[in-house]
Amino acid sequence: MELPIRLSKDSREPIYHQIEKQLKALIASGLLAEGTPLPSIRALSKDLEISVITIRRAYQNLENEGFTKTIQGKGTFVAKIADPIKQQIKVSTVYQAMEKAIETAVSYDYTFQQIEGIFKEILTTYEEDKK
Amino acid sequence: MTATLEVSQIEKKVDDFQLGPINLQIDPGTITALVGNNGSGKSTLLKIIMNMVNPSAGHVKIFDTYISHEEDDWKSYISYQPQTVIGYNPFTGNKLKELIAPLYPNWDDALFLKLIEQFDIPLNKRFGKLSQGAQQKLSLALTIPRNTALLILDEPTSFMDIPSKQYLSDILVDWMEQGERSILLTSHQADDIQKLADYLFVLQNGKMIGNFEKDALTESYKRYWMNDALPDIPVSGEVSRNGKQIISNQPDITEQYLNDNNLQWLDRKALDLEEIITLLLAGKGRN
Repeated sequence: MELPIRLSKDSREPIYHQIEKQLKALIASGLLAEGTPLPSIRALSKDLEISVITIRRAYQNLENEGFTKTIQGKGTFVAKIADPIKQQIKVSTVYQAMEKAIETAVSYDYTFQQIEGIFKEILTTYEEDKK
Repeated sequence: MTATLEVSQIEKKVDDFQLGPINLQIDPGTITALVGNNGSGKSTLLKIIMNMVNPSAGHVKIFDTYISHEEDDWKSYISYQPQTVIGYNPFTGNKLKELIAPLYPNWDDALFLKLIEQFDIPLNKRFGKLSQGAQQKLSLALTIPRNTALLILDEPTSFMDIPSKQYLSDILVDWMEQGERSILLTSHQADDIQKLADYLFVLQNGKMIGNFEKDALTESYKRYWMNDALPDIPVSGEVSRNGKQIISNQPDITEQYLNDNNLQWLDRKALDLEEIITLLLAGKGRN
């Protein structure tokens, strides 16, 4: 199974952290449900073209925080996550995406007013598309 | 954890060429790419590991066994595919398998047949009559199923088409998952290295530049597009510049310097592995 993980090598955020965060978001969104096996470290390493050292670090952090469970000889599986934690990850994923968009606009010297204008414009287009 | 392979202080002098001293450790479960310019000593190093060339100094250990002429035990831990296999030409694929398989107790015949089928190699044709690409594929099919702890491949994909390369990387990934195995490979193909390697061991004209973890190496190089003109003196962390572009291998230090000196940059991007290797082999950006 190939996971929809997009890494940005230009980002200041370390790669293992990007992987960890995106896997958490996939788990919180329910796309990776409880009991779903994660790809092996070597398989994900090949798909993402990232070393096993980095993948192992991301997997270890997920395991330590209770997002996954590794069964010796069988692999790594998505653990049961309490709803409040899922909720918290959803909120922070959305906030981070918005913050990133605002950062980009600010770096191109947009004013807050202009940013708000763009935001409303996109939202309106989106609403119309949905109808 | 015992290292699968340990190369300690290996040196070899051939006429004007001096290889080493080389130190390299390969741990179980890892893939190391041996990277270097032409004539950097990659194949010589592999031959020293395989006891086909005597080093002038140093030693090689596989697990706890020293590699030597007296003992043969170490041979069951390594399979090696040289760039050019010698002695295969008069034999068919069938005959070669008959000769090779019994030498390896862990020989995986199902894997051999799978490779033959996928690579579409005729087993009844003499090796010497096959195309270079087919020879390379047959050699791989005769090497990978030996299932030794260490697999050494010297330029395994140089004559291969794109689908075969893709297939080989899938096979090697599968192979790695069957146990605590390791691969050491040389390749001039950046995409092989990008896909498979965990570590890059870089050699330049016989000298060891370093053994780098792939992602740490990639993350340490950044290119900046400057808004302002650069000072004449090098910027901290700078390894190369071109007009208003600079490349740094210590982005934190470089950004600190740029901020302190009120120099604005427009964009920052990572370098791809090929560019980084080129810089390393050109002697730029070594600390």
